[in-house]
Amino acid sequence: MSLLTTTVGSFPKPPYLLHARTLHAKGEMTAEDLGDLERRATQEWIAFQEEIGIDILVDGEQYRGDMATYFAENLEGCGVSGLVRSYGNRYYKKPVVVDELARPAAITVDWWRWAQDQTKKPLKGMLTGPYTMMDWSFNEHYPSRADLALAFAKVLHQEARDLERAGARVIQIDEPALSARTDELDLVVKALGIVTRGLEVKTITHTCYGNYDHVFPIFNRLPVDQIDLEMSNSGLDLLDRFRREPLKKEIAFGVIDVHTHAVETAPQVSERISRALTVFRPDQLYIDPDCGLKTRTVDEAKAKLRVMVAATRSVKASRGLT
Amino acid sequence: MARATVVGSYPRIGDSFEEQRLRRAIARFEEGKLSDSELRDVKRSVTADVVREQVDAGISLPADGEVTWYDSQSHFASRLDGFEIDGLIRYFDTNTYYRQPVVTGSVRWREPIVVDEWKYAASVASVPVKAVLTGPYTLANLAKSDGGFKGLVRELADALAAEVRALRAAGTTHIQIDEPAITRAPRDISLLTEAIETLAAEKGRAWLCVFTYFGGVASILKDLASMPIDNLGLDLVQGADNWKALARTRPSIPLTLGVIDARNTRSDDVAALATSLRELREHVALDASYVSPSNGLEFLPRAKAREKLRLVAETAHLLEANP
Repeated sequence: MSLLTTTVGSFPKPPYLLHARTLHAKGEMTAEDLGDLERRATQEWIAFQEEIGIDILVDGEQYRGDMATYFAENLEGCGVSGLVRSYGNRYYKKPVVVDELARPAAITVDWWRWAQDQTKKPLKGMLTGPYTMMDWSFNEHYPSRADLALAFAKVLHQEARDLERAGARVIQIDEPALSARTDELDLVVKALGIVTRGLEVKTITHTCYGNYDHVFPIFNRLPVDQIDLEMSNSGLDLLDRFRREPLKKEIAFGVIDVHTHAVETAPQVSERISRALTVFRPDQLYIDPDCGLKTRTVDEAKAKLRVMVAATRSVKASRGLT
Repeated sequence: MARATVVGSYPRIGDSFEEQRLRRAIARFEEGKLSDSELRDVKRSVTADVVREQVDAGISLPADGEVTWYDSQSHFASRLDGFEIDGLIRYFDTNTYYRQPVVTGSVRWREPIVVDEWKYAASVASVPVKAVLTGPYTLANLAKSDGGFKGLVRELADALAAEVRALRAAGTTHIQIDEPAITRAPRDISLLTEAIETLAAEKGRAWLCVFTYFGGVASILKDLASMPIDNLGLDLVQGADNWKALARTRPSIPLTLGVIDARNTRSDDVAALATSLRELREHVALDASYVSPSNGLEFLPRAKAREKLRLVAETAHLLEANP
């Protein structure tokens, strides 16, 4: 198998679900009714991924508000802040750690199990990594950033084990904050290692939008089987570095810029894949967007994914790859 | 007696419906449902709120909150000749992102960048308002360029000197130059000093501050304090080593002491901070200095930012009440 296609995790919520979430937030819709619509949207996204022929699926995170606060809301010792800005006109809420962290129950497993039941293709278990959870939280309890990251690692390891026991074949642990502080890269490796320790499933970590020059040397040290990188937003700048310093893991290679409304053309994406193939083996290379697509509209996301899959098929056909 | 100021940025939205009007306005503007002038009016009304919140909290030298900025880099680069604006990239170690300026030619000042914003903020304030510029060293450091770095810093210094001139012509009395990037590259202190000298040559009688944040500057504190400026801003939270460096270096220049943690929601112990600041009195010009947050407050929720403003003012008040 070569050039398997996948996505990073999130998809945009359809307008009916956005409206329902607003009603629920105002107390005008029950959690049960909202849950029905979240399942409907998830089914629609799974059907779409199957329809266009994506190989490794995600549930699209239709039931998650934000990748960090979703976990914060389900952990003891953690609350959620008011809105803070991410960039431009985008805002999010941050976890606020006020006490010792504990996981009273599995967080993602029921959703994963239900979503996997909707498809015969593998569906990734999706976690937000311990370093990112720490870096994106306000810390009002633990004495240091390291202490907080390791506390998150402990509860996320429990979650990863539960996903594996439930049957997940692929678990992705997102670390978009990986490049935040170059003096903490050892902490990233240590915390991620706690999460993946003893797991037998394929493990992935995704990161994006950082200055990778300084963090590049740790890519081979990350205790996962695959790294998933945003490449298109930065003009594939990292390819030359990978040519000089080969990656010893699989790579999921972002070929779709998730922050532009413009839909890439198939030749554009084919060219990116072809350039990736000058550095990586076909069996080592997975094709996906730069990041989660939740910032796009449903139509934009679908159009971008159709182009991605079509371009991948075209490259495979032209090279006789299966 | 030490007074209270801010570093610059402030949360432009809060949790209430009314406090989210700028977010809604920008979304409507992007959909083509709001005109330029309607969006500008909303930005101005939010700027007025932000200035009022600072003054009401006891801040004697507020800023406009950078309400109109997309980010601290592209806001300047997009209004200078010689740049294009590229994709998103992480802003230092924060979980915020800026659009990276890419140098495409000679960098030159084209038109006033923050003058109108400052004029408006000053018009709604009962106290002087500080104009804030991202400094030439930091702009160059966070931009993408195939050319020489030193040459870029010098071009940016010339361009921003023109902005200082324009601010002064508009009547600005207090100007702050933000240089967080020097905390990551103290070896470049000579280059920074040269650039600041270029800006300072245009300041006239205006008060000029250089603020370093997101880290310490212990190894170059003496050099920073020798620059031709009126005030040096320091981050004493993420740059905790600055405390000892101040006692060791004993700078004579007035300071802006960033002691209130602007990166965390935990409430600061203002009594302990006031005690630590009093202990600095024999080493620094405390009475001529300001107390401030450690960096801009936009990394906090609006309600927490308001609380931090109060803590800044309270710390200054404690120093005044019990010097």
